[in-house]
Amino acid sequence: MNILRGFATTFKHLLEEPITVQYPEQMRPFRERYKGRHHLRRYENGLEKCIGCALCAAACPADAIWVEAAENTDEQRFSPGERYAKTYEINMLRCIFCGYCEDACPTQAIQLGHEHQLSFTDRQDAIFTKDMLIDPTAIGVAGTPQQVEPGVYTRSIPDMENPR
Amino acid sequence: MVTAMTKLVKVIIDDREYDFPAGMNLVDAAKQVDVTIPVFCYHPKMKPVGMCRMCLVEVGNIQKDRATGEVLLDDSGNPQIRWMPKLQTACTMNVSDGLVLRSTSKAVDEARRNVVEFLLTSHPLDCPICDKGGECPLQNQTMEYGPGESRMNFEDKKHLDKHVPLGDLIFLDEERCIQCGRCVRFQAEVAGDDVLAFHERGRDLQIITVSDPGFDTYFSGNTTDICPVGALTTTDFRFGARPWEMNSVPTLCNHCPVGCNTSASTRLDRDFGGKTMIKRIMARQNEQVNEIWMCDKGRFGHHFTRSEDRLLQPMVRAAGGSLSRETWADAVAAAAKLLGDANGSVAVIAGPSATNEDLFTLKQLAAGVGSTRLGAWPPTHAGADLVAKVGVGKGTNLSNLGKGDAVLVIATDLEEEAPIWRLRVKTAHDRGAYVVVANARKTRMDDFADAVTMYQTGHAATAFADLRKQHPEVAERLINANNLVVFAGAEGLTLDGSRALMQACANFLIETNHVGRANNGLVGVFPGANAMGQHYLGFSPEATRDIIANPPKVLILAQADVVADDPAAAAWLSKVETVISLSLFDDEATRQAKVVLPVQSFAERDGSYTNGERRVQRFYTAQGPIGEAIPAWQAVARIAEKLGQGKARLSAAQVMNDIVAAIPAFAGCKYSDLAKVEAQFPQVGGDDLYYGGTSYKNTGGLGVQIASAADNGEAVALGDVKADAVKGDLIVVPTVRLYNRERVFQASEAQLMAARVAAPYVEINAEDAARLAIHDGDMVQVSAGAAQPVKVRAHVNGAAPKGTVLLPRNLQQTATALTIAAGTVTKV
Ligand code: SF4
Ligand code: SF4
Ligand code: SF4
Ligand code: SF4
Ligand code: FES
Repeated sequence: MNILRGFATTFKHLLEEPITVQYPEQMRPFRERYKGRHHLRRYENGLEKCIGCALCAAACPADAIWVEAAENTDEQRFSPGERYAKTYEINMLRCIFCGYCEDACPTQAIQLGHEHQLSFTDRQDAIFTKDMLIDPTAIGVAGTPQQVEPGVYTRSIPDMENPR
Repeated sequence: MVTAMTKLVKVIIDDREYDFPAGMNLVDAAKQVDVTIPVFCYHPKMKPVGMCRMCLVEVGNIQKDRATGEVLLDDSGNPQIRWMPKLQTACTMNVSDGLVLRSTSKAVDEARRNVVEFLLTSHPLDCPICDKGGECPLQNQTMEYGPGESRMNFEDKKHLDKHVPLGDLIFLDEERCIQCGRCVRFQAEVAGDDVLAFHERGRDLQIITVSDPGFDTYFSGNTTDICPVGALTTTDFRFGARPWEMNSVPTLCNHCPVGCNTSASTRLDRDFGGKTMIKRIMARQNEQVNEIWMCDKGRFGHHFTRSEDRLLQPMVRAAGGSLSRETWADAVAAAAKLLGDANGSVAVIAGPSATNEDLFTLKQLAAGVGSTRLGAWPPTHAGADLVAKVGVGKGTNLSNLGKGDAVLVIATDLEEEAPIWRLRVKTAHDRGAYVVVANARKTRMDDFADAVTMYQTGHAATAFADLRKQHPEVAERLINANNLVVFAGAEGLTLDGSRALMQACANFLIETNHVGRANNGLVGVFPGANAMGQHYLGFSPEATRDIIANPPKVLILAQADVVADDPAAAAWLSKVETVISLSLFDDEATRQAKVVLPVQSFAERDGSYTNGERRVQRFYTAQGPIGEAIPAWQAVARIAEKLGQGKARLSAAQVMNDIVAAIPAFAGCKYSDLAKVEAQFPQVGGDDLYYGGTSYKNTGGLGVQIASAADNGEAVALGDVKADAVKGDLIVVPTVRLYNRERVFQASEAQLMAARVAAPYVEINAEDAARLAIHDGDMVQVSAGAAQPVKVRAHVNGAAPKGTVLLPRNLQQTATALTIAAGTVTKV
């Protein structure tokens, strides 16, 4: 009797659609909060959100982030406010994809995306530079640096919310 | 200052009884016994103003019976305390007998919470991009005492200008300023350059500069250190790194004889080849040397260490050909061969920033090839030997000078030549010391003097010897002073004139019994960081003069930019057969050398300097190496090894051990001794950022002061004063400007201070100018002695006395007169 029950289960599954996914040809949708490779975001007007504060680097438990900052001018503006990241690098071999950098960022500039297919043939290639990390601008929007009207982008941190 | 005489008073702090010297500030007293009273505006180096209200505490007094003086007791037998009805600002109170203080209570906590909340209503909270973020007293105290949440409606927040240049070097963020007034008070009270002020009222109150050019002072950088928030930032460092990313390396300023203790904040840098780089320089506390201050030249003058014209590789000149790059081994072999073949006709000229270790190895190398000709560069200031005899006594601290004491500043423009000495003499003057300035012209120091005596250009020694006749009341004050310190330079003097002046000063000090004790004696305002080291290690300006007069076959130039300083250098260098140059830079003399050995600056190596007060101090490696440069002592030791003089030492510490063994003056100066630190008052710096200020703490050592001969009880004899003066219708006096175009300052000038370094000029007296038909602003040609004439702009502004023209050195690439000489000025 038991043996029949066993076979029944086997046959039931035989007839079912297989759940195996033919990765990498096929890919399942990602969870919304999946933490993959980082992106540096921009504002709609093309300015970089990153202000080079290096809080991400301070928060990173794997010491994977390297930031060097420099000063914006209205003629050569990368980000709102006075400071921007001149150098921004993440060593993907060090990164443990914990997302602490994302949590630490005061401007939501660094965000972990869904891309996870990272492979390198050279250790040097694992260092993602700012050019590789930063989002492309939307069509018709200027990149950085931009020449902007003086006195408009004086603040680094977007408007704060009132206490509720 | 706490002395044994000071009366002790009993104070109860947080229910425990302590004894303090009467008159001590309450905040300082509490800090001494580890009771924290948070402050923003109070700083122990300045008078309290009670502006920020952060230091509110409960204060009371133990009640005593008026008739009997007995302490009144309450029912349970404890002393009765009458509490003041309101909270008091601790910073404006001093300890007094029977004072009772409660540093924490409900009312105190509430008051602090309110003060912090109130400060934050108008604060931008842009800590992520603020240079002070991470070492900010406002951040710390908000975390410690502030409310956890804000009740502020952000629409109501005041928006002010965030990018206000106060001058070329300092930026103000008006939003971040918490209006503590420390910067304004520092400039007025400590520096004596009253160039900042408050403007407007209430929340509109801002700091403004009232000078033209803006923030015109040599001490501006100190305000960024003491500002308790990130309102003041330096152009040099702005956004250079976050504080927690940097290491702090104890080092020394190498620009003048004060020898300020500094700390270099370093970090790896991609643009510097991924090597460690100095991001900023800040003062390091050494109460006997620079307290917690430093001047802007030291703070911003570190760029030369990374400048384009640093030498990267050893080079050797092929016979009759050009310099070509060689390995160290080949270059060392070439240098050794030249020295070995010189038959003893060898001399050394060492510049003012060669360290004790460099000088000692050079001395040994020279001795090994049979030479004792050791010259000090520049050959302008004599009398270091007299300073070694009657220099300021061991334990001297200019901060101890006050009422009843006197300071004489003679033949020097202290502000330009040794800014921190000028600041400290100024504060001594404020404490009541009698300050006399003697010079042939007006200087900035005159503003802080009780008496100014002018003498005829070039006659410093005779004028001083005659002081008792000419100015008996001034002489009287100096003679009778409890303590007397004399700062003597060599402005407007020949080398012999300088010796005469130093001798006259020494004689005066000996006669009036102002030698051999702390806070008494002579200080030479010599050029560079290590003139006293040069003396103790056998280098003298007189030898340089002799080397120039009788050129040797082989001359070793060690960090001496002779062509830039001396207009006659090209001529006397050409008489030397072979030059071996140990240099940082690709300078003119180096280009003529047979062997060029690139050496390291103070930033890249360990070493020690002996400052003007004869304090031996050490500095540590801060920055990554440049090219193949090595420390000068190492290059020299390798040559000596090649010549069979013994194995080269492996570290600067070992060289210092050799110095200690060979030179009695350096007894007790091993690196481990130089690294000793002890507690200093006030306790600034440290991780608690108690008084604000960022990198004050001294972890690298306070140094060891060499005893003078008088300290050691040796009899010091009077000497003859041989006056020596230059005669002529018009006498050209070379002067020193702090900001100039020397190679060790050029890179900083190019990057930061271009507007602050004066264009080449000459100052002429109005009468002389009228006689020569020269107007203010005209281009003129100045010739002095045998030097090539130079074209500069004339300033007719009342600075020069009649018959004298003042020609600042090193303001241009071509050398101008190095010593006083008769000359002419013609309009072009
Ligand atoms: S995800 Fe985590 S480990 Fe990776 S860079 Fe960010 S903080 Fe560092
Ligand atoms: S990504 Fe965010 S946290 Fe990192 S430096 Fe840029 S702004 Fe700062
Ligand atoms: S700038 Fe700084 S030191 Fe000056 S008043 Fe404002 S907070 Fe105080
Ligand atoms: S006073 Fe002299 S030693 Fe001190 S920082 Fe200025 S230049 Fe350097
Ligand atoms: S009021 Fe006392 S520290 Fe500011």
